[in-house]
Amino acid sequence: MGSMNSGPVVTYDNVSKQYGHLRAVDGLSLELRGGETVALLGPNGAGKSTSLDMLLALRKPTSGKITMFGSDPYHAVKSGRVGAMLQSGGLMPEVTVRELVTLVSGFHPRPVAPETIMKRAGISDIAEQRVDRLSGGQTQRVRFALAIAGESELIVLDEPTTAMDVEARQRFWANMKAEAAEGRTVLFATHYLEEADHAADRILVINRGRLLADGTPAEIKARAGARRMSFRMGNADEAFLLQLPGLVQLEIRGDLVNVQATDSDAALYAILDAGYRPREIEVTSLGLEQAFLAITSQDNATVAASPEVSKETI
Amino acid sequence: MNSTLALAGAEIRRLRRNRRYLFFTIAFPVVLYLIVGKSTTTAYGVSFKAFYMVAMATFGALSGAFNNNTIRISQERKEGWIRQLRLTPLPANGYVVAKLLASMVTSVPAITIVFLLGAFYGQVDMPIWKWVVLAVAIWFGTFIFAALAVAIGYRISPDSVQPVSMIIFFAFSIFGGLWFPLSGGMKDFAQFTPTYQVVKISTDVLGSGTVDIANVVGIVAWFVIFLGLAVLAVRSVAETM
Repeated sequence: MGSMNSGPVVTYDNVSKQYGHLRAVDGLSLELRGGETVALLGPNGAGKSTSLDMLLALRKPTSGKITMFGSDPYHAVKSGRVGAMLQSGGLMPEVTVRELVTLVSGFHPRPVAPETIMKRAGISDIAEQRVDRLSGGQTQRVRFALAIAGESELIVLDEPTTAMDVEARQRFWANMKAEAAEGRTVLFATHYLEEADHAADRILVINRGRLLADGTPAEIKARAGARRMSFRMGNADEAFLLQLPGLVQLEIRGDLVNVQATDSDAALYAILDAGYRPREIEVTSLGLEQAFLAITSQDNATVAASPEVSKETI
Repeated sequence: MNSTLALAGAEIRRLRRNRRYLFFTIAFPVVLYLIVGKSTTTAYGVSFKAFYMVAMATFGALSGAFNNNTIRISQERKEGWIRQLRLTPLPANGYVVAKLLASMVTSVPAITIVFLLGAFYGQVDMPIWKWVVLAVAIWFGTFIFAALAVAIGYRISPDSVQPVSMIIFFAFSIFGGLWFPLSGGMKDFAQFTPTYQVVKISTDVLGSGTVDIANVVGIVAWFVIFLGLAVLAVRSVAETM
């Protein structure tokens, strides 16, 4: 919790990464504050992995600067303040799970007891199995165990629940919330939108290496600009409904009316004020998925329309 | 340094479970010595039994430090274990240093067993200081082969590392005169191999008690070259640091 008062945990300052002609990360600037759980969302090739690789000192930015705990990424990683789990991370074969966890926790200046790590990662039952004989989901949990092998202040996870079944995934996020509750900052990349919605305090949407949106899950959903309302109404007056305040979309099918509006409250009041009494009213916000698609497709359309941007896609 | 030593310890424990290592590094030289070492001829000015003891100890050291490391390093790089280690507080050079240290330790049983066989089965008799010098010379050879293994393991993908390391391994074994002593044109050509130089230094110590400075310069040169290649290879894959 101490990190909460001491400024940002991580700062990306105008960070870019160029691979030949390809600009994988393009002027990324953001800050992570202590104790936050932050999801990094973006389509494949958006620059998520490259952004995390640079944060973990696996790659060097072409330009710009990343600061972590007041130092450069390399020294922050080597001082044991960061625990990380990457998709590309492998395990040492021919040793048991317990031996591997014990070895890696021993690297840390503030190690966590191997038994505790294995319990938290849900791998106590496979402690004596050989690492090279585990299933995909078990391997993934062992990799998570290595990420929490020290008392790190920041945990970075790249697509942590790939290869896990639904149950394992839920257990994983329960464990992850326990880690966050201890005041750790968590940054994870995912393409499961419901995971970002449930687990994160804050969502960063990136596309083509740029930050498009930054806010709570509710704020991100609001960015899509509309709520959906449906109801049944006997003799729906199309001309009237088209006048509703903030209307984005209208659909009438028999007595069933679907309305998308930026202010669903105002739209509903207008209907009631006009003397209508619709039945079976349901108001739902657009899901994160629609919001995400709206944000990224808007961006892709802008890019496609602007002539100076190269045709190359990530 | 403690982390690096712990990793080296884990590497050594892994090797004990590896049958391939036990076969090529210990069983193979022992069996060859039992079969071939009985010859009563001479080689390089010493008894064949003494020569073959040195050759088989060097063979064991080469096999343990080279074959085993090239394949493992290449696979561990591909599978991301090296990358995983870079995400931990282990020092940046910890992985390579641990591999070298583990190779130095795991070559000790191979050298010791063949030396014991030479002393008791081959009746090789020499003053204690010569045993020590021989062991150190071969042990230094281990370091050279391990350094080359690092360079190859980092450069070559797992698909092709096996044939490449086999070719180098057999070339060093045959042209180094580990399986049979060299003579004539083959010797002129092969005397530059690091394996030949390790064997030559050892047999010179055994026989005349003096070494040819050219061979010492030779193995030091190989050491510098292979270590340089290893450093370059490691640097080339590590974008940062």
